[in-house]
Amino acid sequence: MNTHKKHGFWHRFFFSLDHKDIGFQYMLTIFLMVSIGGFFAYVFRMHLAYPDMKVPLFGLVTNKDYNMLITNHGLIMMMWLALGMLLAVVGNFLIPIMIGTDDMAFPKLNKISYWFFLISVILMIASFFMPKGGLGGGWTLYPPLSVGDFGYNTPYQGFASRFFTANTFVLLAIVFEFTSLLMGGINFFVTTLNKRAKGMSLLKMPIVVWMINIASVLFMFSVGPLVAGTFMLLLDINVGTGFYDAYRGGDPLLWEHLFWFFGHPEVYVILLPPLGILAEIISTNSRKPLFGYRFIINMTLLAGVLSMMVWAHHQFVAGINPKAATVFSILTIIISLPFAGIILAYIATLWYGKIRFTLPMKWALGAVALFTLLGGFTGLHLGASVFDIYAHDTSFVVAHFHYTLFPTVIFGTYAAMYFWFNKFTGRHLNKTLGNIHFWLTFIFFNGFAFPLFLLGLAGQHRRIADYRQFEFLMQDPLPLYRQIATISAVILILTQFIFIFNFFWSLKKGKKVESNNPWEANTLEWQTSSPPPHGNFAVYPVVYHGPYEYNMPERDKDFTPQNEA
Amino acid sequence: MRIFPENASSYGAEIDFIFWLITTVVAVGSVIVIFLILYPLFTRNKQRSPEQRYLKGQGFKQMKLIYLGIVILAIADFSFLLKEGPTWTKIEETLPKDDLHIAVIGRQWLWEFVYPGPDGKLYTADDVKKINQLYIPVNAVVHMDIQSYDVIHSVFIPNARFKQDALPGRSIKRWVKMTKTGTYPLTCAEICGIGHANMKANITVQSQEDFQKTLAKLYKK
Repeated sequence: MNTHKKHGFWHRFFFSLDHKDIGFQYMLTIFLMVSIGGFFAYVFRMHLAYPDMKVPLFGLVTNKDYNMLITNHGLIMMMWLALGMLLAVVGNFLIPIMIGTDDMAFPKLNKISYWFFLISVILMIASFFMPKGGLGGGWTLYPPLSVGDFGYNTPYQGFASRFFTANTFVLLAIVFEFTSLLMGGINFFVTTLNKRAKGMSLLKMPIVVWMINIASVLFMFSVGPLVAGTFMLLLDINVGTGFYDAYRGGDPLLWEHLFWFFGHPEVYVILLPPLGILAEIISTNSRKPLFGYRFIINMTLLAGVLSMMVWAHHQFVAGINPKAATVFSILTIIISLPFAGIILAYIATLWYGKIRFTLPMKWALGAVALFTLLGGFTGLHLGASVFDIYAHDTSFVVAHFHYTLFPTVIFGTYAAMYFWFNKFTGRHLNKTLGNIHFWLTFIFFNGFAFPLFLLGLAGQHRRIADYRQFEFLMQDPLPLYRQIATISAVILILTQFIFIFNFFWSLKKGKKVESNNPWEANTLEWQTSSPPPHGNFAVYPVVYHGPYEYNMPERDKDFTPQNEA
Repeated sequence: MRIFPENASSYGAEIDFIFWLITTVVAVGSVIVIFLILYPLFTRNKQRSPEQRYLKGQGFKQMKLIYLGIVILAIADFSFLLKEGPTWTKIEETLPKDDLHIAVIGRQWLWEFVYPGPDGKLYTADDVKKINQLYIPVNAVVHMDIQSYDVIHSVFIPNARFKQDALPGRSIKRWVKMTKTGTYPLTCAEICGIGHANMKANITVQSQEDFQKTLAKLYKK
């Protein structure tokens, strides 16, 4: 029986140990970070298309400002939005309730992990206001640039001159955030292994729970080298040790290896939770069992192992042994195979189904299509080391990773929001606003990212504040592409206000849910009240079926909840 | 309108060919994926779909089309890897005999080009230096020792399809053979600080006679 009490506002937002409240705290914190990252994107995109313009709400953008804006946009979106939203928020909201338990295995650790996350956010924001300005060496923080003051090779002048710099603060923020995610990940893993409802074997868990756990484990395996690297970089900055200084026995390439040894698995850490979300939504809205449940899990594990062996494809022309590049190129291309299997299984779920075009389904289909067609396939271009000689560090790469990350992180998160919002609040998001939001986002995301492919092929190199100095990049129609990209990006950002309005308006005034299971889904979260009480279930469920038993033979309705005998 | 900038190096066309090869493979794949996604959306929506099937994707019989899809992609992957590998070996792993050996050195925020002096040897006292302007002879294999004084830079010559990071503390030898005379841009592709956007040089490809004249002029200074 459920013995949890209901708490007031103060307790709920500051001290609650409930996984749903902590998930909500994470979500609001990440909304703040995304607004900053989105605002930065707006400023530098405006500057790229109209270099002389005083950007409204910012002013004239200098080279220094520009470097700071792109660097922090990348860091915030990769580290705080993508990792935070998809591991911390999705994991916290979904894992305990989907496996039919009251809370995390370690609720207090969960709370501490949020506080660490909050500290990391505060450090990150504080880094913008350091005496020498915000961080400006690119989000990959390559030393020796990231050891100095981003451009001026100032000699080391003692600890005090270096501690209050953006690089120190950002690195500390990263360490705090990873500690937080590590605590969260351990919590997810232990909860999943130990607190599943009676009858829920590992192979009766929803795919999204599998995916978050695999992602957490992948994160644990890969984060060590980066934390070690970060520690050395902090020492280089603050004590002048020279681990990355070639003239004092160090090596700048060492950081690139440590960073990408984490950085490549990280993109799969980001990718797997949305893939799980898509599986839930596609199966539910096709009214058909997810095609190849075990196959998808096996392919994910395979991709996870492979993802640890491809990091050097970020460094084909960085000065590594060219013979090694061949091996990494082949491994990178091979990693396309398990993902092709997963995507094909999702598509097979659609076939012979009975498709409902609900809002979450639209986001999910949009995500699958864009991720496969323009994100995944251009990965083959870049994985081929020969073409990467030309495309490396051009806008082609920028377009590629926006097409892999945006459909998964943003579309995946929105799919989840439109799918589960009614469960956790008891109210529906407004449908009309949702449709407008979806179509505008879909169109203008493409309008923003696709021109970058063409610009990259034309030879536009990355992270340049003002392309007017390069004649070959100012030939028609390249400036026009830049303007199309900018205008689309601005509309894309404005469109998100529709969602923010919809979110907070529906929270208070949205249409109340008519049943606990409006999508007629099978998983356990739909079998409790909306919103679920503290403790999730009035009576703890017993599981009899797998999560995707839609249209089971010899049943009168087309879905069979997991806890229905 | 052209997709790539004009190619002016001996191996540029091969790099472009790899791009078009992969793009063709990807285009065929895209058509298949688009069909696979759209067909059920148009035929299986609520109004007109007959009863759905209870298919769980277990066992070889149900999964065989997925396996087939993976095998087809594997064949497609290796079809371009087979072309890609030897091209990479030719461009990056082998070093044809040089006609000219120079050093390209990045520093915040300019490019230095160092030519061997009258003795024909690099790294001797009579070397000559040119800032942000590189002259090389046409149809000659040029070895470049790519170096950096301070932070990581990256030599990018779009018209030659050439790119190589310049790291402080090491010298990386790469080669290029330009096949057309003219002046081409040489930029820095790796963010290197506030002046990254202004780091720009020109590479002028000259006929052998013109290049000898230029070199003579450089020695006189």
